[in-house]
Amino acid sequence: MNALNVTDLSIDFPTARGVVHALADLSFSVARGRRLGIIGESGSGKTTTALAVMRMLASPGFVSGGSIRLADLDVLALSEEEMRRARLRRVSYIPQGAMNSLNPVMRVTDQLKDAIVAHEGRTEREVLRTRIEDAFAGVGLPGHVGSLYPHELSGGMKQRVCIALGVILNPELIIADEPTSALDVVTQRQVMQTLKDVQQRIGAALILIGHDMGLMAQSVDELVVLKDGILVEHGDMRRVIENPRHPYTRELVASVPLVGGESFLGSASVAPDFAPGRQGLPLLEFESVHKDYGEITALHPMSFSLHGDAPKIISIVGQSGSGKSTMASIMLGFNPPTTGRVLFEGQDIARMSPQQSREFRKNVQAVFQDPYACFNPFYRVDHALSFPFRRFGYATSDAQVQESMHQACQAVGLDPALILRRYPHELSGGQRQRLIVARALMLNPKLLVADEPVSMVDASLRATILKNIYDLKDSHGISIFYITHDLATAYHVSDYVMVLYKGQVVEAGPPREVIGDPQHPYTQLLIASIPWPDPDREWGGTTTAAEDIAALDAMDRDVPTVFRGDVSGFRLDVGE
Amino acid sequence: MGRIPRSYLLNRVVTLLLTVWIAATLIWIIPRLSPVDPADIMLGRMAAGAGAVENADQILERLKENFGLNDPLVIQYVKYIGNVVTFDFGLSTATFPTQVSTLIARALPWTVGLMLLSVVITFFIGNALGALMAWDRSPKLVRVAIPAAMVFTSIPPILSGLLLMWILAAKLRWFPLTGAYGLTVEPGWTWGFVQSVIHHGFLPALSIVIVTFGFWALGMRGLMITVQGEDYVTLAKAKGLRPRYILYRYMIRNAILPQITAFALKIGLLVAGQVLVERIFAYNGMGKLLYDAILDQDFPVIQGVSFVIILMTAVSVFLVDLVYPFVDPRIRHDGGDA
Repeated sequence: MNALNVTDLSIDFPTARGVVHALADLSFSVARGRRLGIIGESGSGKTTTALAVMRMLASPGFVSGGSIRLADLDVLALSEEEMRRARLRRVSYIPQGAMNSLNPVMRVTDQLKDAIVAHEGRTEREVLRTRIEDAFAGVGLPGHVGSLYPHELSGGMKQRVCIALGVILNPELIIADEPTSALDVVTQRQVMQTLKDVQQRIGAALILIGHDMGLMAQSVDELVVLKDGILVEHGDMRRVIENPRHPYTRELVASVPLVGGESFLGSASVAPDFAPGRQGLPLLEFESVHKDYGEITALHPMSFSLHGDAPKIISIVGQSGSGKSTMASIMLGFNPPTTGRVLFEGQDIARMSPQQSREFRKNVQAVFQDPYACFNPFYRVDHALSFPFRRFGYATSDAQVQESMHQACQAVGLDPALILRRYPHELSGGQRQRLIVARALMLNPKLLVADEPVSMVDASLRATILKNIYDLKDSHGISIFYITHDLATAYHVSDYVMVLYKGQVVEAGPPREVIGDPQHPYTQLLIASIPWPDPDREWGGTTTAAEDIAALDAMDRDVPTVFRGDVSGFRLDVGE
Repeated sequence: MGRIPRSYLLNRVVTLLLTVWIAATLIWIIPRLSPVDPADIMLGRMAAGAGAVENADQILERLKENFGLNDPLVIQYVKYIGNVVTFDFGLSTATFPTQVSTLIARALPWTVGLMLLSVVITFFIGNALGALMAWDRSPKLVRVAIPAAMVFTSIPPILSGLLLMWILAAKLRWFPLTGAYGLTVEPGWTWGFVQSVIHHGFLPALSIVIVTFGFWALGMRGLMITVQGEDYVTLAKAKGLRPRYILYRYMIRNAILPQITAFALKIGLLVAGQVLVERIFAYNGMGKLLYDAILDQDFPVIQGVSFVIILMTAVSVFLVDLVYPFVDPRIRHDGGDA
């Protein structure tokens, strides 16, 4: 018998502007021991499907047709209390937001305890303790984790707690909703391996929801492709990836940037030819910059100088906690270094006059990770775009402001007529992220610091936005620092790559060398941890993720930085 | 978590003392900027009572002498700070020569009793109702009735007090109209007296509760709606926990955290907050004392009451600072947050 049978499932959301069909006539089934992937973009109905199976649809959504059977249970016919009992015991749900899925004011153990007690009634304390310890051991967590509070755990540990919780009552079906989307590649591989192991061990069916074709290829047996609430393709994973029938599936497969693969950027048409920087001084310079947070060293001493005369894209890659974002905030002057100096066109940014400071702000623009948090929700888009433009004294007339906004929108592929009079909440994440690029562009900066600019947008949009950013280099002569954990995109866009590990540059050079043929063990691990959309290509080699991470931790911290070659206009030194 | 580190405690204590010192200084400076001379006022009061006052100039001089108003400002200030430390605010000018501290000591228990009780009750009722308003499993009736009851919140306390007096005291005669206890009972720890106090306190307490619970309820409702969207609440449901357990341990437990800070501030203000309520119920607490002192321009009493208000606010904020890390493990005693 199948663990789950979904037949002709339709879900509607009545809204003020009419009924939205979130899901239409969806049918699929999954047997115990098997893994099914559901892939699609945000809004395609993936999470809605999962919530419908849990019978946890957010109001006003409701099931308007079809049936959901969990083995012998007719999910839609159960009473509230019967459904409550089925959750976790029959079907468990591992939610998307690993970061916030645990109650912040309860110790981790108590959050497993209450789940067991809710289903099995009072249980002896000793029995509970051993069961919880076993559950933690099963996902590779040390026993003391239970006595911690969620904020004391890393993202990967939290997600493994959620997996331990999801399997503690041996359910027949596990639904994992983008369980690794907030994690870096190394941790992602570790968490996915844990999830697969545990699922195999208890013989449950697994539904993996996601948007990453590479992750799917490495994780599931069967694939369902959803677009706008409609199933466009369903079949064996290998068949779907190797021989996609629906054009949308083909697009999904093709949109995954590959290391060494064809560039999604096209070739630059204009040969860059720009005026040299003022007095030949470097655009941005780090002089033995070093940053401590209390006892912890976030960034070991490093120096670099970037000349602006021939614009470059410098990528900074590494896991979360590697010091990438610390570097970005030091460059932007938000976070003073503990020792060392940051110079912009020869001027120490910590000792600028108000006038110089304004020039610095104008010339150095930033694009941040979260496109949702970057706009003041009270103002329309045109205000958000024109405000800095006017403040920095670019505006000569209202008509000229309008003209600049139109040009900037068009440069990032947005229709100004549709966008400018809207409020930020009316736009999608991708549109907002492009607007942030447009806003930076209007100020005609010399340097752009882009911190994970595409990690929160759908795969199909990533390429577009990256191309927008990439084009700035040649069409506007802007030098760019691209900070990311996505090595495949760094491979394609950058002129120079720095790999950061625990605040140290471990490998640096042109992307074809550093990413195409990594030498340092950490870089090698990062590259090996990328899930390829190719079922024949093994994910991470023969060692397990946990072993790899342990090997890295044991690695001698004094392994020298591997330099893989230079590019003109950029010079990097590490050490004092 | 766990033991409070000494450096943190020291830091908080210094902040507390600094706050109180600055406040005490402001209280001293502000009346001195006023053009009114308290000695003149007293003389005026004597004149009103006895007609012409002989030797007015001498009396004025004596008064100024007694109040130390002839000393240089620095000496006055140093004396004042010394007095404040011992809770000596001098003599009331309106009920001369009663000690201000005596007046405050007489009024404070009434206010603390009545106000603390009503503020605590309001806090619990308001937050409970706010939580129920936002909870998706509340009975429909609850979700309709509570917002309707919020109408009371928009009524000024003086009106609702009068309304309650009119209905429950004047018409139904269930409760006495005014006073803190009956005229016929002797103050003391007797059952009859306690009964009388509760009987008299009920109406003022009720009028405070019904006009202020909305503050807590609306705040809590907003916080609950935010918490309801949190991933940990979704996961709690997916874990198959019982709905009530989710309500208490996952939703209210998290939503209440900002309310606790607000509660500390309210505790400090409760002395002054309900001046009008005490006034209309002729309840002999701090509010009425302050009200009368303002009318009489009785500066020493105003200073004394203000100081007590500031002291209570500072102390309750101090206590919350100490307790909060135990309520929210994300806040650490060393001052940083995670």
